[in-house]
Amino acid sequence: MMAGRPDLGARFRRYLGSRGMEPVDVPIWLIGTLVVLVWAAPFVWMVSTSFKFPGDVMTHDIEWLPRRATIDNYIRVFEYPVVRWGINSIVQAVASTTLCVIFGAMAGYALARLRFPGRAAIFAVFLASLMIPVEVSVIPMLLAFIKVGWASSYQALILPTIANVFSVYIFRQFFLGFPAELEEAARMDGAGPFRLFWSVAFPLARAPMIATAVIVFTLNWNNFLWPLLVVFDEDMKTLPVGIAAFAPVVGSNTQLEGFSVAMAGVTVLSVPSLALFFFLQRYFIEGISTGSVKQ
Amino acid sequence: MAAPATVIRGSATGRKMDGVGYLFVAFFAVPFLIFNILPVLFGAYVAFTEWSIIGTPNWVALDNFREAFGDEWARLAFWNILFYGLIIVPGVTVVGLFAALFVNKRYPFYAFARTMFFAPTVVSATVIGLVWVWMLDTQFGLVNQYLGFFGVSPIPWLTSIEWSLIGVSIASIWWDLGLAFVLFLAALQDIPRELTEAAVVDGATRPQRLRYVILPHVRAVLSMVITLQLISTLRIFSQVYVMTNGGPAGSSSSPIHYIYSVAIVRMEFGYASAVAIMLFAVIVVLTIAHRLLLRERA
Repeated sequence: MMAGRPDLGARFRRYLGSRGMEPVDVPIWLIGTLVVLVWAAPFVWMVSTSFKFPGDVMTHDIEWLPRRATIDNYIRVFEYPVVRWGINSIVQAVASTTLCVIFGAMAGYALARLRFPGRAAIFAVFLASLMIPVEVSVIPMLLAFIKVGWASSYQALILPTIANVFSVYIFRQFFLGFPAELEEAARMDGAGPFRLFWSVAFPLARAPMIATAVIVFTLNWNNFLWPLLVVFDEDMKTLPVGIAAFAPVVGSNTQLEGFSVAMAGVTVLSVPSLALFFFLQRYFIEGISTGSVKQ
Repeated sequence: MAAPATVIRGSATGRKMDGVGYLFVAFFAVPFLIFNILPVLFGAYVAFTEWSIIGTPNWVALDNFREAFGDEWARLAFWNILFYGLIIVPGVTVVGLFAALFVNKRYPFYAFARTMFFAPTVVSATVIGLVWVWMLDTQFGLVNQYLGFFGVSPIPWLTSIEWSLIGVSIASIWWDLGLAFVLFLAALQDIPRELTEAAVVDGATRPQRLRYVILPHVRAVLSMVITLQLISTLRIFSQVYVMTNGGPAGSSSSPIHYIYSVAIVRMEFGYASAVAIMLFAVIVVLTIAHRLLLRERA
């Protein structure tokens, strides 16, 4: 420690102590923080590049904050049918999420709170199906949709995504721990299973509802393989598939646009899911840890 | 149903039998059967036929599978996932565990760290793909520029046969970390506080605490993370499609990427289904191995 400041070391130690740290924690903290910064860097670089003039992008200066900024790249992005793709994505994700939550809640409720033979076996079949990778069913499903004449349609985008076992699982977990007293009062009034579900159980299932909704919405918003396969019509593309063509790789139509337009495109694409995540972080993390820690 | 009272109590309606339960389940079960189960069975049939979209399927028995075993592009794709697995699975596991240990310590700004480690998981493959194509650009990419400070000459991450698979793997680790991280963090938070405190009182050093207190508690989650990550790596597709389209010369292709190109580019649906079923077989074997492994521990 420097002369004249003999208490600096002690003060530093005290500061660490107040945070529950020891001196040996400092290097660990520094390394960890470096990893965190590495993890944040691609996002920062994405946004930073999206505001640069194309001429400032492919250079050897590492400009984290653009020296001069422009929103031209965003204007260029919207010259593509991005709004149309966005509407497709929203229609698809909202319809799928709504149906997933309702069907998942009904099935989860029945499997947890109603009595009927084969209940356990049905749930076991649902869980076992998780082993089947969607990619296996994708080719036959594509054939079927083409044969029915539903390629490039909203039905094709929405229908295959509505049976999500994850949502049944989350709701079943929740309703297993649902206090029976809440249902009893309604039961005394002569409510049948439908009323018990709709007016008592479902409205109280806020937490699993949000957890399922945020995760299923994000899955759908980001869904890639299926929309890529089933859409042959530029106007029916979803946002991730449409914007993927912005890759400035050899042979793509945007090769000459460079990375500034591509980065503006992916910034537009990532804002909804990142915003949802930042505001509802707790539900994402809870939903995922409940959903994965089965058996 | 004599299930333990704590888990499943009487029916919500108080009846002995709720036939209406089937109706409740049917809303989910009908689309489930049509869109999750039927295509798999249909696919199993298609795999034994020769079928382009026009005309009728032509039964060819095992020809597609025989062809797949002799197909060097298919072999390359299956070889590639072995290497993807060898890079991505340990990468995600080790960094995920480190990230979880770090966040669990509640150092300054730990909430920001928690957000950052999970954030890439919520964005789409298109975002990952395009951002990392830019990050890994040979000439002007951020990665090569910073490596240049250490005297490393520019690495053709995505444009050379030697590096393309590694380039895609780096992006995948960044993308996939979130799930492993959250699972590890949940496991760490379940460790009783008294246990770690007792270890401190007993004079256990940090490495000892990690080795004898913390790691035994995350072991079950560790094997789950490895298996989940392995299965998801076997299914690697979107980032490959966006970043390299499997190239150059198939050096970064994967089975699903190969299935995609056989079906969409060559329109050979029967053959594509056969390759899909081979991938399915690999995944089932690994999943069963995982279950057995978990049962052994329990």
